[in-house]
Amino acid sequence: MSSETTDGDRLLDIQNLSSGYSGVPVVRGVNLHVDKGEVVALLGPNGAGKTTTLLTVSGLLKVLDGSVTVLGDPATFGAPHKAARRGLAHVPEDRSLFFGLTVQENLRLGLRGSRSAQAAGYERALELLPALRPLMGRRSGLLSGGEQQMLAMARALVGEPKLLLVDEMSLGLAPIIVERLLPIVRDIANETGAGVLIVEQHVHLALSVCDRAYVMSHGEIVLEGSASELKDRPDLLEASYLGGEVSA
Amino acid sequence: MTDNILETKGLTVTFGGLNANDSVNLNVPRGKFVGLIGPNGAGKTTFIDAITGYVPMSAGTATFAGEDIGSLKPHERAERGLVRTFQSLELFEDLSVRDNLLVAAYPTKWYSFILDMLYMTPKDQETEDRVNWALDIMGLTDEADAMPTDLPHGRRKLVGVARALAAKPDLILLDEPAAGLDTAESQKLGQHLREFLDHDMSVFLIDHDMGLVLSVCDYIYVLDFGEIIAEGTPAEVREDPAVKAAYLGAEAGDVQAAAAEAVVGAQSSGGE
Amino acid sequence: MEAFIAAVIAGIGAGGVYAILAVGIVVAFRGSGVINFAHGAVAAYAAYNFDEIREPGRGNIYLPWVDPIPEWGVLQKLRLNNLPVRIHIMEDPPTWLAVFVSLAMAAFIGALMHFLVFRPLRNAPTLAKVIGSVGVFIYLGAVALKNFSNSNRNDAGWWGFDSTSDPYVIPFTDKTMPGSNLWLAGSALVVGGVLYLFFRYSRFGIATRAADENEKGAALLGYSPQLLAGLNWVLSSVLAGIAGIVFLHKTNPSQISLLVVFALAAALIGNLTSVVGATFGGLALGMIASGGVDFFQRDFWGEGVKEWLPADGIRQFVPLIAIIIVLYTRGGKLPVRGSISVGRQPQAPATNNATVGTLGLIGIGLLVSNIFVSKWESALTTSLIFMLFMFSLVVLVGYLGQISLAQWSLGGVAAWTTARLAADGMKIREFDFFANGGPNWPLLLAAIAGVVAAVVVGLLVGLPALRIRGVQLAVVTLAAVVAIEKLVLRNTGLMGEGAASTNPMPVLTIFGSNFGGFNENSNQTDNWKFTVFLIFMVAIVGVLVVNLRRGRIGRRFLAVRANERAAAAAGINVSQTKLLGFGISSAIAGIAGVMFAFKLSQLTSENFAPLIGLGLLAFVYLGGITTVTGAVFGGLLVAGGLNGEILHLHFDGVDQSAINIAGGLLLVVNAIMTNGEGISLVNATAGKEILHGLRRDPIPPDFPSGTETSTADSTVADSLEGAVV
Ligand SMILES: Nc1ncnc2c1ncn2[C@@H]1O[C@H](COP(=O)(O)OP(=O)(O)OP(=O)(O)O)[C@@H](O)[C@H]1O
Ligand SMILES: Nc1ncnc2c1ncn2[C@@H]1O[C@H](COP(=O)(O)OP(=O)(O)OP(=O)(O)O)[C@@H](O)[C@H]1O
Ligand SMILES: [Mg+2]
Ligand SMILES: [Mg+2]
Repeated sequence: MSSETTDGDRLLDIQNLSSGYSGVPVVRGVNLHVDKGEVVALLGPNGAGKTTTLLTVSGLLKVLDGSVTVLGDPATFGAPHKAARRGLAHVPEDRSLFFGLTVQENLRLGLRGSRSAQAAGYERALELLPALRPLMGRRSGLLSGGEQQMLAMARALVGEPKLLLVDEMSLGLAPIIVERLLPIVRDIANETGAGVLIVEQHVHLALSVCDRAYVMSHGEIVLEGSASELKDRPDLLEASYLGGEVSA
Repeated sequence: MTDNILETKGLTVTFGGLNANDSVNLNVPRGKFVGLIGPNGAGKTTFIDAITGYVPMSAGTATFAGEDIGSLKPHERAERGLVRTFQSLELFEDLSVRDNLLVAAYPTKWYSFILDMLYMTPKDQETEDRVNWALDIMGLTDEADAMPTDLPHGRRKLVGVARALAAKPDLILLDEPAAGLDTAESQKLGQHLREFLDHDMSVFLIDHDMGLVLSVCDYIYVLDFGEIIAEGTPAEVREDPAVKAAYLGAEAGDVQAAAAEAVVGAQSSGGE
Repeated sequence: MEAFIAAVIAGIGAGGVYAILAVGIVVAFRGSGVINFAHGAVAAYAAYNFDEIREPGRGNIYLPWVDPIPEWGVLQKLRLNNLPVRIHIMEDPPTWLAVFVSLAMAAFIGALMHFLVFRPLRNAPTLAKVIGSVGVFIYLGAVALKNFSNSNRNDAGWWGFDSTSDPYVIPFTDKTMPGSNLWLAGSALVVGGVLYLFFRYSRFGIATRAADENEKGAALLGYSPQLLAGLNWVLSSVLAGIAGIVFLHKTNPSQISLLVVFALAAALIGNLTSVVGATFGGLALGMIASGGVDFFQRDFWGEGVKEWLPADGIRQFVPLIAIIIVLYTRGGKLPVRGSISVGRQPQAPATNNATVGTLGLIGIGLLVSNIFVSKWESALTTSLIFMLFMFSLVVLVGYLGQISLAQWSLGGVAAWTTARLAADGMKIREFDFFANGGPNWPLLLAAIAGVVAAVVVGLLVGLPALRIRGVQLAVVTLAAVVAIEKLVLRNTGLMGEGAASTNPMPVLTIFGSNFGGFNENSNQTDNWKFTVFLIFMVAIVGVLVVNLRRGRIGRRFLAVRANERAAAAAGINVSQTKLLGFGISSAIAGIAGVMFAFKLSQLTSENFAPLIGLGLLAFVYLGGITTVTGAVFGGLLVAGGLNGEILHLHFDGVDQSAINIAGGLLLVVNAIMTNGEGISLVNATAGKEILHGLRRDPIPPDFPSGTETSTADSTVADSLEGAVV
């Protein structure tokens, strides 16, 4: 599914990226791409640089070297709202909910496009995450940890994004929800042609739905391959988590 | 009769019509490791909030070390050795990691400020040792002087656990300490948590990482819509159909449980 | 009864203006999390312009700055072009044009405030924003004074907002009120209603609140946080302008800027976020105040009560109590889960021994210099007293994070109590107008009682802090300041004859020698013994405050400042800790107040006027509010202190408004540049950085140090810098 694509299908293209904090690179030489309709997993141990990569894509951190192309245009450091308006949705690690607003208001802010598109997106997100329905009027700061995570997902989905980045999707979610959510992400990619990049700690679950995966360690991509390749080689995965460069 | 450090009877918490906890009867035996699992929004955090005094109980009793604590303020419960961590971090962000622990470790009296101002407060080696121990066991010694905001998310969670340890708890209540940790880190955490029991502590753990929960707990309660729907040893809970339907799911639970098994197997060298 | 009802209803006039101002404050707060203390000043500036353009034969407006290039001297010889300030519009313009131009001016000021002040401050601690707005307040007030001069302005008003229109008979009574009262209340309802609908039915309102709470989240959803904030500032300032020009017929523009206290109170009733709450809050406050005065001035209270409760005091006090009750019942002892966090706080490092030593040397230097340059005596003692006072703010605001604007008023309480208790009904000096009656306590005892009184009142002021937090607390304490002034300091029933004007102070005598500031021989405040005495006081209290930070309690203060929920979990009794902080701080403020009294031969309530307290907070902030060193700097900088003396030596004849303009600007610049940590800390950090740089090993590329000073948040913030469309 992933191999033969034209440039028009490439939603995210990261080439030789270095980025980090206060000018000091934390990730180096990262090459990564996501195409239309693809689900790609970005895996790796704590502190590997996964979050840093995602923040750079949406323009919250500076590209120190290399290039990042998001939905056809270079990443715009300093103006994350521009990429968002082009159709990028990013569920950040800290979720960035608006605690002072109700669940409904949070969702409303995620809506995009014409009125009918908005209504459709809204309904669809709630179908996928029905647990949110009874919570509509509650202030989002009062939600439980998992409910907050679901809201963050839903808020990204209501805008029907072209490219979706999800950092630690299953953080704080019950196993049964994680198990349901991953196929949902798969379906969204299949049906709407959106590209999805997920960061996950549940390696096996992630590999069961994604097309391809990258493993990051100490700021570098140490392993990449199709899901099926990686599933068959747990030894390689384990080695890559421990750090060394591995060739698939 | 067993010696329970924490006992709740009919504990109920209501938020405007919603019963977030509904007649919860739950015991933590002294020196044991008890887990609480359940779907999102089941009321697990609310349970910790209720027994530590952060939300009012609308019915029921909570007894800690033989004393009814229902009317005590949060800080009074902490002083008695009932210490919690928060799911949402809640660190002192402008204090260094070590100071975060010191705040919790040093007790004060009403006249402490006078001693402080005269610079006559004695340094207490035992407390300092305890803080160092807590930093050490959570693997934070190298980051002791860092600010919490400079640490990755997973390590910040551990600062929360270390701060609770520094407060000399008899029962430590952990709310999702492993959230965001990778499998290796989470296993390491599990081993350290078991060590707590050797230091005169009982442990109460909430987490969604089944690998962790099933491998470290002696006894597990399962909460759904505010009610206890099952309880038992890890093995019993894992096989319970109600728990599977409400929480574990068909696959996810199994995958994680398998991971747990591997760990448990490795630890008890005999295995299955 | 009828008269009472009539009084209540007549309150809708003033209430209407409070409401319009309050709504503007709410809009700015929602847009950028800033409580704008300068809101009234913006209203006043618009009102001045409105009046000026309508002035027969003039027709000018003034831009919100002054021409920095004087009409004389070297600069003029260089033939530099002056900065344009005055714009001629037209003589006798139609009313609509005058309204339009004034509101446009307000909008312009709003945009300037956003771009120059609050946008750079958006990630700074709450306190920095408070100080920024205080800076704007001082600046705008001084500019207005310079551009419009203070000549008595009488604008008859326009449309129905007119002092000459027919009085209106209040239904069910035979009393009347000015017809314009109805217009004022009506326009408040219209403004409130329109804004309510606008915020309710456009996404703008929600997006505004979202962007203020979580900039990152809003930007990731495609909203430009800075654009939203800017629009809200403009809207808020236009509302201020409206309030200014509708109230012009009732008061002088310079008074309008002081209405901000009531407006803030009304906004608090709307929880700072609700337009409807602010509208009705404003109307209600106007009515309560007006009714309260009528009620407490009734004959059945008897002369005693009437004397003890001056009308002005009631006007301030009754609304204060109303707000405190509303807020107190609303807040919890601990914030509930998911409360919006307090945000970043300025660092509060423990002062080390080296710094204490340095400060000691400075003290010795002052002592020595004092012997040689007796000219400085008065300025030096002023600086020292304010240093002492600022220590109280270091404890309360710096360590404990409770923003109180009332501490200087507590100094006033201590000074007044001392004067009252030590007095014996005799004139102290020949030139005294009054002799205070009193129990003739020994001065030392009276002084101690004064400090105790400050602590008692301070704890009362601190009570609301148990449930009211952050910037809301600041507003409550500001209301308390006004109440203390009107109800205590100016209360002749309580404080004796002198309270209303000048309060003669007894002489501080130690071992039979005059240690007070006032030198009976020279008739000036230049007694060197007093200086020595003060230096010792400052040293002792300074060391106590330094030690407090290094100890267990200091650490607990910082913990409460950072996170109350977590503090309770760490076994800290949050309420008790806050009260302890208020107690210690009030005691120090009381001591400073007593010292101030010892310095002067006569005190007036002007010495403890509300705005002085605000100014002192600004100055200690400038120095660095989290450290004792910062307070020392702050004391040196303070107006009337050593710094001013030195300025005077070099620039003879600089006038007060020029100093204020510069001061206001300095505050703003400082708030932005030092990120809330003040001069002292910036220097300390810079020094550390240099040392660090000398020692530092190169960072290994793959292990970025976790102790790097920048955090993810600040990087993200930097990246949002450019996020203006
Ligand atoms: N103060 C409150 N007011 C109203 N509802 C609340 C309040 N606090 C919690 N809730 C609701 O109570 C329910 C239980 O929340 P709780 O945080 O206890 O869940 P949890 O079991 O810890 O879930 P998770 O695993 O997702 O953390 C949730 O639906 C939450 O939204
Ligand atoms: N604000 C920051 N300032 C300096 N260094 C940082 C900052 N945030 C993260 N780092 C460092 O960057 C590295 C990569 O962090 P990142 O958050 O990208 O890792 P991650 O792969 O997302 O890990 P996790 O699974 O724990 O979320 C870490 O070593 C971390 O210490
Ligand atoms: Mg991460
Ligand atoms: Mg929870």
